[in-house]
Amino acid sequence: MPKHGTFIRIGLLAAVAAVLATLAAGTAGAAPAKKTGITIAGAGSTFVQPLVQQWIAPVGAAYGYELQYSGVGSGAGVAAITARTVDFGASDAPLTADQFTACKGCVQIPWALSATAIIYNLQGVKNLLHMNGAVLSKIFMGQITQWDDPAIQKLNKGVNLPSVKIATVHRSDNSGTTFNFTDYLSSVSPSWKSQIGNGVAVSWPNGTGQRGSAGVAAGVAQTPGGIGYVDVAYALHNHLSYFAMQNKSGKYATPGLKGILAAASSDQKPDANNALSIVNPPKKFALAYPISTYTYVIVPTSTPKAADIRKFLFWAVTKGQTYGPKLLFQPIPKPVLVVAEKTIKKIGS
Amino acid sequence: MRFGDLSLQVVAGAAALGATLLVGLIAWKVADGAWPSVRHYGLKFVWTNAWIPVTGHELYGAASFLFGTAVTSLVALALAAPLSIGIAIYLSELAPRFLRGPVTALIETLAAVPSVVIGLWGILVLGPVLRTHVEPALHSAFGFIPLFGPPSSTGSSIFTAIIVLTFMILPIVSSITRELFLGVPHDQKEGALALGSTHWEMVRGVMFPYARGGIAAALILGLGRALGEAIAVTQVIGGVTGSSGIQWNLFATGDTLASKIAASYQGATTNLQVASLIYLGLILLVFSLFVNFLAQVIVRRVARKQGFGARA
Repeated sequence: MPKHGTFIRIGLLAAVAAVLATLAAGTAGAAPAKKTGITIAGAGSTFVQPLVQQWIAPVGAAYGYELQYSGVGSGAGVAAITARTVDFGASDAPLTADQFTACKGCVQIPWALSATAIIYNLQGVKNLLHMNGAVLSKIFMGQITQWDDPAIQKLNKGVNLPSVKIATVHRSDNSGTTFNFTDYLSSVSPSWKSQIGNGVAVSWPNGTGQRGSAGVAAGVAQTPGGIGYVDVAYALHNHLSYFAMQNKSGKYATPGLKGILAAASSDQKPDANNALSIVNPPKKFALAYPISTYTYVIVPTSTPKAADIRKFLFWAVTKGQTYGPKLLFQPIPKPVLVVAEKTIKKIGS
Repeated sequence: MRFGDLSLQVVAGAAALGATLLVGLIAWKVADGAWPSVRHYGLKFVWTNAWIPVTGHELYGAASFLFGTAVTSLVALALAAPLSIGIAIYLSELAPRFLRGPVTALIETLAAVPSVVIGLWGILVLGPVLRTHVEPALHSAFGFIPLFGPPSSTGSSIFTAIIVLTFMILPIVSSITRELFLGVPHDQKEGALALGSTHWEMVRGVMFPYARGGIAAALILGLGRALGEAIAVTQVIGGVTGSSGIQWNLFATGDTLASKIAASYQGATTNLQVASLIYLGLILLVFSLFVNFLAQVIVRRVARKQGFGARA
C-alpha cells in the first residue's frame, strides 16, 4: 500500500497539470486575428503612455504590427532611442542640442497634445479655484505660505479660504510634467527663471518630492493644504480638485480640450527641430489654458524598419489622434500635422 | 582523489571565485561609470552641498546625501538596537512557551515584507500619523532641541524614513540576537541564578557578555541593510530642497545616497548627471565597505576579549 504522502504528491501533480492545460487552452483560444510578426517597440514618456496603450489594439488590427511601449520616463526613452534599443522614443521635453548630437540623425515629431493640471486639497472649498502664474510661482518659491494670503484671496473673491499652511508637492523623479510646469513658471516669473530654471528635474526651493504622478496625487490628497502638479488626464480620472488658471488675456481657463486647442493655436510653426512652446500664450488667445504642452516621438531617420515605422507614425498623427479626446489629448492642429507628416517622410533606410 | 571530491572542489571553488570576481567587477564598473564626474569635480564632490540638474547651471555634490545616509542609518540603528535586544530577551527568556513560536514567526515575516510595500505603508499610513500626532507633540514638548523643529508638511521627512528603516532593521537584529541568547550555555545561566542574582542581573551579567560579539555583528548587518535601502526611503523621505540639505531638524525633508540614485537615475538628462549619480553610488560603496571593515574589527576585538565561548 503506497504511503499517504505518495497520494498527496500524485494529487498535486495532477492538479498542476490540469491548471496548465486550462491555461494553454485559454491562451490558444485568445490568439489575435492578424499577425505579421513585426514588432514596433518604443519607450519613454509616461505622459503619453495612456494614449499609446490605446493604440496597441487598433494598430494590430489595421496593420498587424505588435506595438509595445514602456513608460520609463522621457529621459530613459531618449537614452533608449539613442542606443537604438527601441524603434522609437517618446519625450515630453524637446531634445537639447547635446541629445540631438548623441542621437545621431534623429528627428523629433510632435504627436500628442495635452496639459498639466495644478491640483490642490482644501476641505470644504469648491473645485476650480482661480489661480495665476505670478501667485503660483510665489507659492512654489516659498514666498506665499498660507492659503488665506491676500494674493490668493484677491483672485477668489467671495470664497472662504481656510487659514491653512500651503504644502507644495513636486516630482522627485525626472518628469516631462515637471518640464512643462517649470517651463510655464519660467515664462511667467523672471525670478523663477533666473533662480531655478526649467528642466525634467530642478532644485526645488521647498516642498516634498514624490515619485510619479500617483505619488504627487497621494501626497496632495493626504495633506490638508497640499498643492501639486499632475498631467490633466490623471487629475480628471481621479477626481482631484484643480485650478482654473488665468491666461494672459485675464480670463480663467480650465485644462479641457477647448483650452488646450486654444493654447496650441498660439504656436503653429514648429522650429527647425519641430519643437513648439505653447505655455503662457499671448493674450489674444482668450480661451487658452496656459500650461499646455506637446509631446514628441523621437525616431532615427535611418532605420531598417523604416516603412513600418512610417506607416505607424502616419496612423498615429491622423487616425490615432481620435483616441485622444477621452483621455484629454487634443488632436494636433492641421498646420502642425502637415509639418509632422513632412518629417515622417524623411524616415528612410 | 575520487571524482565526487574533485568535482566538489571545482564547483565550490568556482562559485567562491566567481563571487569574488563579481564584487571586483561591480566595484570596477561603478568606478568606471563615475569617472567623468570624478574627473570633473575630484574629491570636492564629497563635501559640495548642491544638486542642480538644470541644463546650463549644472552643479552636483554628495554632501547632503552623505549626511542624510549617515543620520537616517545611525539613528535608525540606535532606535532598533534596544528594541531588538529587548525582543530577543523576551522571546528567549521571558515569553510563555506557547507565545514564542508565533511571535518569532511574525517578527521574521516582517523581514520578508518587500521594501516597496513598506514604503507604500509609510506614505499612506505612517506619514499622516506622524504628521498629525507625533511630530507636533514632539515639537511642542522638545521644541527647544533643534532636532525637533517645525513638523513636516506632508508626512514625508527624515523622521518618517528613520522609523521605516527601524522597522526594516528590527527583524534582522532581533532574530540573530535571539539565536545567540538561546545558545548561551544553561549551566552558566543557572549558576548565576543559583548564586542569587535576579533575572535581569543574570541577563546582564551572563547573556550579554556571552553574546556581545554576535550582537555587534547583527547590528552591523542591520546597518548594512539601512545604508543600502533605496526604494522604501525614497518614497517617504521627501527629497532635498533649496540648499538646506544639511540641517538639524529631523522633521524636515532630506535624501540619502541610495534614495537619490533610485529617484533620479532613470531619465537623467546629461552625461555629467549620470556620472554624478554613479559617483554617489561609488561613495555609498566605499562607505559600506568601510562600515563592514569596522564591523569586522569590532567583532574580532570583542571575540578576542572573550576567549572561551566566543564566536566571530
